[in-house]
Amino acid sequence: MAGSLNRILAMTGRVLNQLQRDRRQIALSLIFPLVIIYFIKILFDALANPFFDASRYVVPYGGFLVHFITFLVTAIVLVAERTQGTLDRMFVSGYSRLEIISGYLIAYSVLATLQSLLILLELSWLFSLVYSFGQFASIYLIMWLLATISLILGLLVSNFCRTVGQVLPFFPLILISMIVSGVLIPFEQLPGWVQVLSYLSPLFYANEVLQVLIVGGGLFEKWAMLASLPAYGLILLAAAMLTLRELD
Amino acid sequence: MENELAVSVQGLQKNYGSIQALRGVDLRVERGQIYGLLGPNGAGKTTLIRSLIGSTKGSAGMISVLGMDPTREKRNLRKHIGYMPQTPALYDDLSARENIRFFGLAHKPHDLNHLVDEAIEFVGLSERARDPLHKLSGGMKQRVSLACALVHQPEMLFLDEPTSGIDPQLREAFWLHFKNLAASGVTILVSTHQMDEALDCDRLAVLQQGQVLADDSPRQLLWKGQARIKLTRGGTVEEFQTENYPEQLPAILQRYGLDPAIDRIEVEEDTLEDVILSLIHQRSAKPQKDS
Repeated sequence: MAGSLNRILAMTGRVLNQLQRDRRQIALSLIFPLVIIYFIKILFDALANPFFDASRYVVPYGGFLVHFITFLVTAIVLVAERTQGTLDRMFVSGYSRLEIISGYLIAYSVLATLQSLLILLELSWLFSLVYSFGQFASIYLIMWLLATISLILGLLVSNFCRTVGQVLPFFPLILISMIVSGVLIPFEQLPGWVQVLSYLSPLFYANEVLQVLIVGGGLFEKWAMLASLPAYGLILLAAAMLTLRELD
Repeated sequence: MENELAVSVQGLQKNYGSIQALRGVDLRVERGQIYGLLGPNGAGKTTLIRSLIGSTKGSAGMISVLGMDPTREKRNLRKHIGYMPQTPALYDDLSARENIRFFGLAHKPHDLNHLVDEAIEFVGLSERARDPLHKLSGGMKQRVSLACALVHQPEMLFLDEPTSGIDPQLREAFWLHFKNLAASGVTILVSTHQMDEALDCDRLAVLQQGQVLADDSPRQLLWKGQARIKLTRGGTVEEFQTENYPEQLPAILQRYGLDPAIDRIEVEEDTLEDVILSLIHQRSAKPQKDS
């Protein structure tokens, strides 16, 4: 047990060490979403309508950005390890699937934690969103859970790809996730067969809870939707560990 | 006897779809040996090594490495072996020290700094250990790769073409490292293309199209070749061609009763490369049997 914990910490430390030296990845993860949000602000200002409540949309859009960018960042990570041979070397050195996935998850969660906070702070500032401390903390929790699930989803997708190019066809899945989530079109207005697909999107559960929080509701008002987020994450995590292949 | 064996392979087969990468390989490696795998590209050397370290599961046959099944007892086996792949397989944005430390942490979290220092010194990289890997030459990266394989002081090393792409001087240094390791009791299984390196092995297996053509010491393999003997006696030259000349030559010389008039004996023998190529060509010329 102690050995496994040491190896997870070693994995986490190595990934964090690499992340802090990779300016491009930090820019992609932290700066790029802030730039996108600024352009969303410009767009909303151009479409200015006194009856339009931007606050009901901008926070879920922020959630989508978190969902997309964290998926993008981690989707290529294990593929890159496999193509350069370091994944193989880790296995032969004695790192297990659990330790490799856990190490990546913990390390990238640090990035996701910072990313979610920066996005939420910028949204609050640019769109003059006024939240109580409890409200802000609850919204931040949902964004963080969504980011973590997206990290795991990216790691899971990595397991099915032998090259970075094979990851690209999975990106439209995130766009579909946005469409079926209820963020763009209210869930009730989606066709029945699309509503089935909604339950496969983590953004759907996050949006359901966020819509309640935005109007001042409690975190546990939609407790089933709230509980679905960590459950979804745990299922994806198990799938990611089971599908990480070692043998040729 | 079994306890003296580091590796025992019986009837190992490995298929990738319709491609038979290994076709019934048998070999035995004794503890403390430097055992070479020789053969052209595609012969099955890497597949064999990967089967022995548990990264590939054979389609049929039995393998025992240090008394363990590499597929079933993988976790335990990997505490005792080190592996150096064909490509360096390292993190370019980390330093040599950080790479070695990371792979060493998987085995031995305690006393690791001391082991890392020893490994760095062993491969002669003390001066560049803190430089990021992308600033090191190809040869230096190979050294780091070797250090990662041996940092935890394994009982057995699997080295897949460790001297590929490095200069002759560094190749010599590497083989000095290998001999020092073997002298300290480490068993080494090394694949190579280089015939001169093969001569430094205690024993060789020659692979071709997934089969072992020969499994012997380099010296015994050389004696399988032809020796051409030229005797000059009083201006008359007589030529003989014989196999296994150490045994045949005395019989030839006895015809002359160790005549003191024999003033010159020239012996020309096949090089190891000639023997290996001959074996490969003979196999290629034989009709293929279904396995």
